[in-house]
Amino acid sequence: MSTKKTAETEEPRVGVYICHCGGNISDHVDVKKVAENLEKVPGVAVAHTNMFMCSDPGQELIQEDIKSGKINRVVVASCAPSLHETTFRGAIKRADMNPYLYEHANIREQVSWVHHGEAATAKATSLVTAAVAKAKELEALDPIKVDAARHATVIGGGIAGLRAALDLAQRGIEVALIEKSPFLGGQAANLERIVPTGERAADLIQDLAAKVMADSRIRVYTCSRIVKSEGYVGNFKITLKTQPPDSQADLEKLQEVAAKGEKPGRFVPFAGFLAVKVPTTASEQVLDSGAIVFATGFSTYTPRDGEFGYGQNPEVITLPQLIRFMSQEKSRGRSLTINGRTIRRVALVHCVGSRQIPGIHEPDADGGLNEYCSRTCCAATLQAASEIRERYPLTHVLEYYRDIRTYGRGQEEFYERASENHVMFLRYEPEDPPQVERLSKGNFPLRVTVKDTLTFGEALSADVDLVVLSVGMVPSRIADLVDMMKLPVGADRFLQEVHPKLRPVELANTGILLAGTCQAPMDISEACNAAAAAAAKATSLLSKGYVELDPFVAQVDLSRCKGNGACVAACTVDAIVMQTVEVDGQSVERAEVNPALCTGCGVCVAVCPENAIDVKGWTLEQYEAMVDAIVAD
Amino acid sequence: MEPSRELNFDALVIGGGIAGLQAALDLADQNFKVAIVEKDATIGGKMIRLSKVFPTLDCASCITTPKMAASAHHENISIFTYCDLTSLKRDGQEIKADITQMPRYVDADKCIGCRQCEYGCPVYVPNHEEGNFNFRKAIYIPFSNAIPQIALMDVENCSLCGKCAKVCPTGAVDYFQQPEDFVIRAKTAVLATGFKLTPMDQKPQYGGGKIQNLISSLDMERLLAPHGPYQRVIRPSDGKEPDSIAYVQCAGSRDKTLGVPYCSRVCCMYAIKQAMLLSGALPLADITIYYMDIRAFGKGYEQFFQNAKAMGIEFVKAKIAKIEQADNQYVRLRYEDQEGNGGVVEREHDLVVMSLGMVPDWNPAGVCDVACDTDAFIKSTIPSLAPTVTSIEGVFAAGVAIGPKDIVDTIAEAGAAAMEASKYLNALENPKAA
Amino acid sequence: MSADKANSNKGKILILATESCAYPGANSVGQAHSPYPANTYILRVRAPVLFPEKFYIDCFRKGIGGIIIMSCGEECPYEGAYHALAKRIDNVFQMMKAHNLDIRRLRLTAICTVCNRAFLKEVNEMNKLIEELGPPEYKEAA
Repeated sequence: MSTKKTAETEEPRVGVYICHCGGNISDHVDVKKVAENLEKVPGVAVAHTNMFMCSDPGQELIQEDIKSGKINRVVVASCAPSLHETTFRGAIKRADMNPYLYEHANIREQVSWVHHGEAATAKATSLVTAAVAKAKELEALDPIKVDAARHATVIGGGIAGLRAALDLAQRGIEVALIEKSPFLGGQAANLERIVPTGERAADLIQDLAAKVMADSRIRVYTCSRIVKSEGYVGNFKITLKTQPPDSQADLEKLQEVAAKGEKPGRFVPFAGFLAVKVPTTASEQVLDSGAIVFATGFSTYTPRDGEFGYGQNPEVITLPQLIRFMSQEKSRGRSLTINGRTIRRVALVHCVGSRQIPGIHEPDADGGLNEYCSRTCCAATLQAASEIRERYPLTHVLEYYRDIRTYGRGQEEFYERASENHVMFLRYEPEDPPQVERLSKGNFPLRVTVKDTLTFGEALSADVDLVVLSVGMVPSRIADLVDMMKLPVGADRFLQEVHPKLRPVELANTGILLAGTCQAPMDISEACNAAAAAAAKATSLLSKGYVELDPFVAQVDLSRCKGNGACVAACTVDAIVMQTVEVDGQSVERAEVNPALCTGCGVCVAVCPENAIDVKGWTLEQYEAMVDAIVAD
Repeated sequence: MEPSRELNFDALVIGGGIAGLQAALDLADQNFKVAIVEKDATIGGKMIRLSKVFPTLDCASCITTPKMAASAHHENISIFTYCDLTSLKRDGQEIKADITQMPRYVDADKCIGCRQCEYGCPVYVPNHEEGNFNFRKAIYIPFSNAIPQIALMDVENCSLCGKCAKVCPTGAVDYFQQPEDFVIRAKTAVLATGFKLTPMDQKPQYGGGKIQNLISSLDMERLLAPHGPYQRVIRPSDGKEPDSIAYVQCAGSRDKTLGVPYCSRVCCMYAIKQAMLLSGALPLADITIYYMDIRAFGKGYEQFFQNAKAMGIEFVKAKIAKIEQADNQYVRLRYEDQEGNGGVVEREHDLVVMSLGMVPDWNPAGVCDVACDTDAFIKSTIPSLAPTVTSIEGVFAAGVAIGPKDIVDTIAEAGAAAMEASKYLNALENPKAA
Repeated sequence: MSADKANSNKGKILILATESCAYPGANSVGQAHSPYPANTYILRVRAPVLFPEKFYIDCFRKGIGGIIIMSCGEECPYEGAYHALAKRIDNVFQMMKAHNLDIRRLRLTAICTVCNRAFLKEVNEMNKLIEELGPPEYKEAA
């Protein structure tokens, strides 16, 4: 520890180490000359050259100089810092010096490989001198450690939420699973069979939910919602309100469950897994949580009144409604019957509420369009088509589609099976969608007309008993949570990850993770993968009991801060607040940085009129010193 | 030969592509010791060889290199490149892997990646990394951002002139290096063995691989890469700047005759992406995509597709029946017109790209008894709720090894596999807690 | 080679290169051994938004001939930082005019990790420009 303290208080004594890189540098840069030049720079205690600084003997050279007390700052001039900066920081740390008292000069990729002759040597000298100038300004830094509760809050009790909760619990993390309805299972409870595996949705939900209920590390809060959230990664404070169910849909489902005499602990089709008894009084509690996993899922798109005749004709229904009718339909006739009506011919229309195009589709009440593909509807529609054909051979099926997107493993077979089952396919362009009209006379209630691009754009009409709309996914309504936690939302109105490949299950808000269809449409297997990936990230964050954050965060120099607040206004992540402090017996406002929230972008540095704020390790003073060194020669 | 050494880890990841790297990072961040075994001389897999990636059009290198570097520098990750996996079996409580370190003919401990050997080598060999469009040396570093930066010698093409050994500043060249067998024991394993393209020479209707200016989609990735072989897009046969470029979709997917009945999930999107990049590089060129169904199903993909349509890229719904060489090295496509007036149509293009599908890169037969499906991908035994679980206890799989998928889905799945593996490790350590 | 006799009288170019994009991009140019003028000094920065307007003016006052900010562009990992930067650079341009500085001496660009050609183009253009313009004739603002 003593070396760390002295390093900050003593005069800087910089050790400079210049690498030959086996000729890569020394063939173009006169490294001896650079060392000689550097020896003359004030503050430089030693300047060595070595064939390979990254080798063990090279690293030992630095360590010996540190241990003998010759130096308290290190500059290595070698290849790109991405290759060996960590190597040298490690070597310094092993010599018991703070690894942040180190600066790297890149004289291979940015000098010897692009310049030659005297110019190369001169530039190398300048860059190393600039690095020395920065090194003299460096201060010892320590990674920021934030204690973290080994507890995660999962919001949403659908498949993704259940999966994430179980994964976290099995890694020893306490979990609060919060679900606003009385039921677990989410939208999957409205399915009969899973495409393409053919598993029963009921079995999957029962399996997961029972495991969740049996796990002592998971507390399930149904009929609950978050009313307040404060804090940051490792230390969220979440206020939860539990109250008797009041939504019409929940009350209807509860009545049905009661009528069936079902008790908590069982899955009820088209309702869900009734986890615990519903509360009769409202209550509030506060949870201390280290991370939050969003698994708030999706709702199905509700067609506009009149969209493909929906809402105006009882014979126009959605695919989830069809699935439910079919599951309740126990008659063994050779035709599908719905509400007692024989269905001789049914039209299935794809892409309802998905793949909407500006200028063609009508925006919704909020002015938005669902421009995305909902991913799961094609396979689900094809499965419904085949099931109708196989169970009810006298019912004919027509599918009106734009592209068949049976992308998943085992899904293409559903397409083929539907063709083999003589499902008739008609393909439409978005600007010429199928028209549904009511027939006043004749045998059938509805007529569907489409310009079929598979038969050279011929207008084809079919009279049908039933039109089924394959409705897409829309994100669940979570505007309250989005506002409360300041969550990023994409143009598609789903939650927006930091980057789809670099950090696909993380939100920009550190410690808040994404699981499943709150992020984008997915099928069950994809949602489970996303949930497990989110659980893995949360486990990495919380398993140590503390969160280690980069030390490169903003710091306020209180001797300079005058409390004008420009930094607070400029900060995009709300990491700076004004605090009242005592200065010379007076109460004044001063800026204070929360290092757990600061990303170190430096936007505050530039706006401070007093130069009172800086990013540690990358300070303005350090840069100015470097520029001075560069212009000096 | 007796294995020279035996190494122990918590987790073993087979494959150093994006799936393997992500799984390794997610395990290492949970403080497990991880070994990555990679058959190539560098990690990075297919992704590092791409140009830009959909739908963000980020440059692939910018997204892959941070993960490669993070793995290489992670204190919990050890990387073994240029290694051949000869056996992977459960052995009591452990997974035992027999591995052969293939000889690089360069001492990995001595090589500093300075490329003096490469510059000195007089032998030029078609560069497979660049679609054979240009040349590399017989001793070389695979590409500029390869990790590790260690040279390897291509002995089949080496003339044994000795120049590399002479110029090497560290004396790392070793003509007598031998393969070295070693064993890795781990408590769990993740298979992330990735894919290769459907072979393009299997379909006689598509010329059996003999047609000039008919290239694979990965070749086009290299032509489009900012640091690619020509640094611009030209026709390989004669260097002509193409005026008309076509994509043949489902070339090697959704095709039972090739034994590839499934959709490969990425080809629609990469073709659209390449078409967009081409229209930027060659603003005057006509670009046509012949497709069966456009499958733009991921987040932001449909919007990407609609943008491409708005940019003037032509989409023709047709299954290409035949591809032939036409005069002047043009490529002729024959298909049945579905949207116009019907009948058989023929069109010629300067350059045609086959949007090839994905087949598994690794055949476990004789190496590992993990169950595979009829499509040869590794079988997922809990396909809906835990897609990364395989038939062997403690062995998980991620990415294209268990079915075609794009990078976004691969990365999520790698995280999921890491979660399964970490739960498995946790249960081994705390039997009561599980 | 013109790149070799670069240094002394020709004025210096300061390059602020972002740690995640442009700095590795400059390394990629090195790996390709593509020469460029040696009067270029690349500083690695986390986000160029850190620098206040005065920093740029001070650099010119100290004698820096040209500054190229090589950012990540819209892909900036810090939310909102790129737009804040673009706004700041507009301010700097105003101040440069007040100090009798040709505003072409400051360039804001986006360079990715393998944008070799774009990097070389920017550097060569700036070099040509400061050769034409000569050293900055900094004047105290009126």
